[in-house]
Amino acid sequence: MRRRARALATISVLAVAGLALAWGMSTPHPLTAAELPAHTPDVANGKLLFNAAGCLSCHKPDAALAGSDASLPSGGSPFKTPLGTFYPPNLTPDPATGIGSWTDLDFVNAVQRGISPEGQNLIPAFPYTSYARMKTSDVLDIKAYLDSLPPVVSAEKQAEIPLPWLIRRGVGLWKHIGFDTAQWTPDDKQTADWNLGAYIANGAGHCNECHTPRNALMVFDWNRQFAGGPHPGGEGKVPSLRDLVGRGKYSDAADLASALQNGEMMGYEHLSSGGMGEVQTNLSKLPGNYVQALADYIASLK
Amino acid sequence: MKKTIAAAVALAIGAGIIGAGAGLAAGTADELITARQAEMKANMAAMKAMVSMLKGETPYDAAAVKAAAKSMADAQAEGVAKGVWDAATQTGATVKTGAKPEIWSNAAGFDAAWKTFDTAVAAIAATPDEASFKAAFPAVGAACKGCHETFRAAE
Repeated sequence: MRRRARALATISVLAVAGLALAWGMSTPHPLTAAELPAHTPDVANGKLLFNAAGCLSCHKPDAALAGSDASLPSGGSPFKTPLGTFYPPNLTPDPATGIGSWTDLDFVNAVQRGISPEGQNLIPAFPYTSYARMKTSDVLDIKAYLDSLPPVVSAEKQAEIPLPWLIRRGVGLWKHIGFDTAQWTPDDKQTADWNLGAYIANGAGHCNECHTPRNALMVFDWNRQFAGGPHPGGEGKVPSLRDLVGRGKYSDAADLASALQNGEMMGYEHLSSGGMGEVQTNLSKLPGNYVQALADYIASLK
Repeated sequence: MKKTIAAAVALAIGAGIIGAGAGLAAGTADELITARQAEMKANMAAMKAMVSMLKGETPYDAAAVKAAAKSMADAQAEGVAKGVWDAATQTGATVKTGAKPEIWSNAAGFDAAWKTFDTAVAAIAATPDEASFKAAFPAVGAACKGCHETFRAAE
């Protein structure tokens, strides 16, 4: 009897220790104000990166709502994933329903650490896994641009996912294996143009999120970076971006730049489906040298 | 020999009746899917001819523009006549299709997308010179893109 009690006590202690460990390991660790760089925001650069990041594609208003301005990221449009449907929130500066009351630190923690102002883990359908690689000053510029937009009242709709609390805790555990917070560093052996393209593709542009395959634990398989894979929406495939010129998909980097700039408006019919049409629309708003840099970088992938 | 032909004809008619009974317009789902893929390939060839003129790779030729636009309009009319978007073509037996279920769940939207395409193709067919052709082209490309964004799945 005493042995049984002791075994039970040992099991209980282990269980509690396990739970405490899981709790500790799944608890978010936001940045502190001291970690933010001193920065004077540049609204024009913020607008450029807002387009490079394609914020509007997910945070657009629900098309079913009449009278909403489709050019503003007031959120609410359903975003379907195999996990469930998300309603990306309102990014306009409305204090009650948007991000008007967010501090710079709140914004950087959400975008680069995947942590909400309430201290919860965000689900990486929001690609903070890529945005973490951006320069924090660029993220602050995006916030300055969002702050310059007219506020829209659009209340957040809760995601339709099973056991959201548990999933958010699970994301905290997953972050230990699947989330690298290191910022992107330029490659000195490459040109400034290539480095600009690589920075946009891997950071704001979050190309890896769809074009790089993941393992069973949803961790990027960097050995197969940009090798394509199943579509994250659950149907169809995302094409490989490797050796696009060698495989005859594009005649050269200039052809690829024209494809990114014009899409199907110039007959590049593979750039419309699976969400790429919206990506291409966003990229077409970038300055020409950014599109060319992106094309030069992507065309260099072997 | 004659008997064989007669038997084949009878068989074909029989198959046609069975096909019609199953609610298919003019062929099996696989045949219709293949037909609409051929229609899209014809459209792509027509687009390529126009893009090439747009980029200046081939000289502008008013007759070639009209021919390209006619080929697109004809391919679409032929597709409609065959019933290539019949509801029974959502999935093929052996042929793969990138057609999304939204084509049938949002039939009004799909129709509207085709009307946008028809209008753009008719407009470019009517362009008298290079400048107006260049001005009319983006609407055709946008019509292709608009429909593919919503109604065609990722590869």
